[in-house]
Amino acid sequence: MRRSLILAGLAVLAVPGLALAADAPAGGGSLVGPYSVLVAGFAMAFAAGLCALGQGKAVASAVDAMARQPGAAARIQTAMIIGLALIESLAIYVLVVAMILLFVQPIK
Amino acid sequence: MGVIEHPPIFRLPGIPDHVTYTWVVMIVLAGLAFVASRNVALVPRGLQNFFEVVLEQFQSMIDDVIGPEGRRFLPLIATLGLFILASNLLSLIPGMTGPTTNLNTTAACALVVFFSYHYIGIRKQGALTYLKHFMGPVPLVLKPLMFVIEIISHLARPLSLTLRLFGNMVGGHILLAIIFFLMGLQGLIGWALSGSAVGAVVGGVGGLVMIVFTVGFLYPLKILVSFLQAFIFVMLTMLYISGAIEEAEHHGGEHAPAHH
Repeated sequence: MRRSLILAGLAVLAVPGLALAADAPAGGGSLVGPYSVLVAGFAMAFAAGLCALGQGKAVASAVDAMARQPGAAARIQTAMIIGLALIESLAIYVLVVAMILLFVQPIK
Repeated sequence: MGVIEHPPIFRLPGIPDHVTYTWVVMIVLAGLAFVASRNVALVPRGLQNFFEVVLEQFQSMIDDVIGPEGRRFLPLIATLGLFILASNLLSLIPGMTGPTTNLNTTAACALVVFFSYHYIGIRKQGALTYLKHFMGPVPLVLKPLMFVIEIISHLARPLSLTLRLFGNMVGGHILLAIIFFLMGLQGLIGWALSGSAVGAVVGGVGGLVMIVFTVGFLYPLKILVSFLQAFIFVMLTMLYISGAIEEAEHHGGEHAPAHH
């Protein structure tokens, strides 16, 4: 079951390559351009998912701590907001790389 | 980015957009400061009261993070914070571009922070002591490696400050631009007005849903992100400054209870 899933995933990733290989010689450029768009989309999806996992853990432990000590809630909330912004900035770096790939297109 | 780009309302010839709108932010902030500080009264009212509240918030944050000796850095920190906040909020007004949506402005703010906290640390402790603290509490054999790692992480700080602010602002703008394009005169609303029956129903309902979504959710989210990113920038500046100053405490053998 798992091995067939892995093979299916690889096949899905290879299909655009086959389709683009039929197109690219007529387009007159390298394959890097279309593949970079694909990579930008996947990279952003990975980054968003993992960032969500990390932020979920941070908020969960912050809420636990606030429930345990309601007196310290303001301080814990400040630390939580800072932690969330720092975790989110990692996904923002991936967004910046994706924007470079899509809009600046350094390698056509 | 051709179809979703829109130029701002006014441009000065020969001057890049982000510089023009930096001047707009400067004029707005200086004007507010001038109005607030006319007839300074002991019991503040009106705009002076509002700005005293804002500065007291900065002051209490500085007291929390850096300690009482951080009061001299209030001008630097409050200027950075208010400039970044005003720039972020300016970019939300349709027809204007914010200076912080350009990499140059955010890099300038980050470089100011970088040089400031090193200058503050060196002035407080002397250059050699300050550099010695880069090597950290590791055994002598590992000190060169630790020095290299610390240098790399210090160089990553202005990079991360720049990209964080820039990415948050520009990401929000691209999202908003795409939503406007999807629901605007070339999208759903245009389809609704085009006269076909399917267009009127689907386009009208879809357009209405997207308008409510944009005004009710996206704009408040962007306002929140503006405030949050200015707050994070200022908080990180204060943490870097406190990291540069408080190294002196380690010598005495007791940790200063500044963070509790």
